[in-house]
Amino acid sequence: MPPLINPITLFFASIFTSNILLTNFLGMCSFISISKDWKSSFGLGMAVTVVLTITAAVSWLVLRFVLVPFGMEYLSFIIFIIVIAAVVQILEMVIDRASPALYLSLGIFLPLITVNCAILGAILFMQIRSYNFIQAITFGAGSGLGWWLAIMLLAAIRERTEKNPVPAGLKGPGITMITIGFMAMAFIGFSGMIAVQ
Amino acid sequence: MSKTMAILKDNLWTNNPIFIQILGICSTLAVTNNLRNTAIMTLGVALTTAFSSLTLSAMKDLIPRKVRMIIQVLVISFYVIIIDILLRAYLPEVSKQLGPYVGLIITNCIIMGRAEAFAQASKPLLSWWDGLTSGLGYMAVLMGIAVVRELLGFGTLFGIKIMPEAFVPWTIMIMAPSAFFLVAMVMWWAKSMQAGRKPEAKPATPGQQATAAAAPTTTAKA
Amino acid sequence: MKKDSILYVVAFTFAVCAIFVLVLALANESTKDLVEANREFASQSAVLDALGIAWADRSQAATLYKEQVSPVEGSVPPAYRATVDGSGFIAVEHTGAGLWGAITVILAADPEATLIRGIQIVAQNETPGLGGRIEEAWFLGQFKGEKVPGQKIRVAVGAESKGSGDTDTENGLADGVPGASRTSQAFESIVNDALVRVKAIAGGGK
Repeated sequence: MPPLINPITLFFASIFTSNILLTNFLGMCSFISISKDWKSSFGLGMAVTVVLTITAAVSWLVLRFVLVPFGMEYLSFIIFIIVIAAVVQILEMVIDRASPALYLSLGIFLPLITVNCAILGAILFMQIRSYNFIQAITFGAGSGLGWWLAIMLLAAIRERTEKNPVPAGLKGPGITMITIGFMAMAFIGFSGMIAVQ
Repeated sequence: MSKTMAILKDNLWTNNPIFIQILGICSTLAVTNNLRNTAIMTLGVALTTAFSSLTLSAMKDLIPRKVRMIIQVLVISFYVIIIDILLRAYLPEVSKQLGPYVGLIITNCIIMGRAEAFAQASKPLLSWWDGLTSGLGYMAVLMGIAVVRELLGFGTLFGIKIMPEAFVPWTIMIMAPSAFFLVAMVMWWAKSMQAGRKPEAKPATPGQQATAAAAPTTTAKA
Repeated sequence: MKKDSILYVVAFTFAVCAIFVLVLALANESTKDLVEANREFASQSAVLDALGIAWADRSQAATLYKEQVSPVEGSVPPAYRATVDGSGFIAVEHTGAGLWGAITVILAADPEATLIRGIQIVAQNETPGLGGRIEEAWFLGQFKGEKVPGQKIRVAVGAESKGSGDTDTENGLADGVPGASRTSQAFESIVNDALVRVKAIAGGGK
C-alpha cells in the first residue's frame, strides 16, 4: 500500500524544492546548449512539460496493466523508452495537423526530447517511489514545469551576462555551470517556503 | 602514434566527453557524493559504451537506415538492463542506492554520441576501444569530483573515515550545487591547460613554425 | 532483399527485438533465485539489527534468525516475536509516508511498547544528504533503548534539534535531521504508529 502524499505538495515540491534539473541533474545535455537562446528555451521547456505529463500517465498505465501483471518489470527500461519515443512521435503528428503555427514553435524541439534524461528520469522515479495515477501525473507535470522554469531562468541570466568579461578558460559552458550552481543554491532556499524539507 | 593510442589520448584529454564535449553529465552527477556508487555507475557507462559500440559497429551493414535510432536505443537498453540485472543479483546494496540512475545510463548522450560519430564508420574492435576510452575519460573526471565531494561532505573515502574527528562535514558538498561548481572548476582547469600548451608548443619546434608561416595570413594577423 | 524495403525493416527489427528479449529473459530467470535470496537476507538482517542481535556473516544471520525470531502468523505487513537476552520483544515492519515516497522501517520494542529496542530502515527515497540522513547511525542510534513515555516519542525539529543526536534514553526525545524537518516529522509518526502496532500484536492482534 503506497501511502498518500498530497498531490498538491508533490506538484510544488517537484517544481521548486526538488527541481529535477537543479537537484537531480537530469536533462543537462540539451539544457546547456539550448539555454543560449531565450525563445528556444521557452519552446523546449514547454515541449518537455507536455511530453513529460503525457508519458508519465501512459507509462504508469503500461507499468500497472502490462509490465507488472506479466512479470516483465526487468524490461521496463526498454518499454519506457519506447513509450517516450511513441508519445513524441504521435504528438509531433498531432501538432503538425492541428496547428502548423504551434508546430513551428514547439514541434522542432520534439525529436530532441526522446533522449532527454529528464523524461526517463522522472518516469523511473515514479516507478521506484510507487506513485498512484494522480501522483504520477502531478509529479510529471511538476517536474516538467520545474525544468521549464530552470531553463527560462538560465536563458535570461545568460542573455544578461553574455558580454561580461570572463576568464578565457571559463567561457561558455564553464561559466554556465557556475551559474547553474548558484541557481541550485538559490532553489535550496525554497525549502523553508513550502515547508517541505 | 598508433591509432589506438591516438584514440586513447583524444578521449581522455583533448576531446574528453565531460569538459570538452559536455556530454552525458546528467545521469551520473547526482551520485557523485559517494565514491563507490560513482565508480560503479561510471564503470557501467564505460562498459555500455564499449559494448554497444562494438555491437552496433558489427551490425552496421545490416541496420536499415529508417530504424537506425531505434536499433541503437534497443542495443543500449539491452546492455543497461544486463548491468541492472547483474547489480541486483550481486550487489543488491549498490543497486538499491543507485535507484533510477542505472536506467538513466540509456539516455547518457555519450553512448549514443559514440555510436553515431565513431561506431557508424569504424571496425568493431576499434569501436569497442573508442567506446571504452570515452567511458574512461568520463570516469576519470567524475571520480575526481566524487573524491572531493565525499571527502569534504562526509569526511570519508569509499566509506572509510579519513578526516580527523574534529572535522565538520561541509553539507553543501553533499548537495547538488557543489557538483556544478566542481565540474566548472574541472572545465576551467582543463581548458586553461589546453589553451596554455598550444601557443607555447608552437614556436618551440621550427618545423611547426614553418607550417604556421605557410598557413593563410589569418594566423599572422592574430 | 533491399535494405530499405518495408519487409526487411520489419523483419530485422523484429529479429533484433526477439533475440534481445530472449537473452534478457534468460538472464533475469537465471538470477531470480539470487535476487530472492538477497531480498530475504536483507529483510532478515534488518530484523536482527533492529532486535540488537549481532551477526557476523550471511549464514550466521540465517541461523540466528531461525533460532531466535518467529514470524507472527498471518500478520500483514510482517511482524515477529523474538527472545533476546531472556526477555521477549516484538518487531514490526511498518510503512508510512515520507516526503518523497514511502519509508519502510522495522521497529523492535518490548510487548508493552514502553521501550524501543532498535529501528532499522528497509526502504526510503528521501533527498540524499538531507532527509536521506535518517539512515545514518547517529540518527537511528538515538532510538536504541529509548524509553517511550506516554506511548509516544518525539523527534525534535528546527531550533530544538541539536542535530548531533540526543543521548538521553529516558526522555523519549530524539534529534531530527538538520534541514529536513518534514522527513523528521514523518519519521516520528511512523515510529509512533509502529509502536501502536507492537502493542496490538502483543494483545493478540494481527
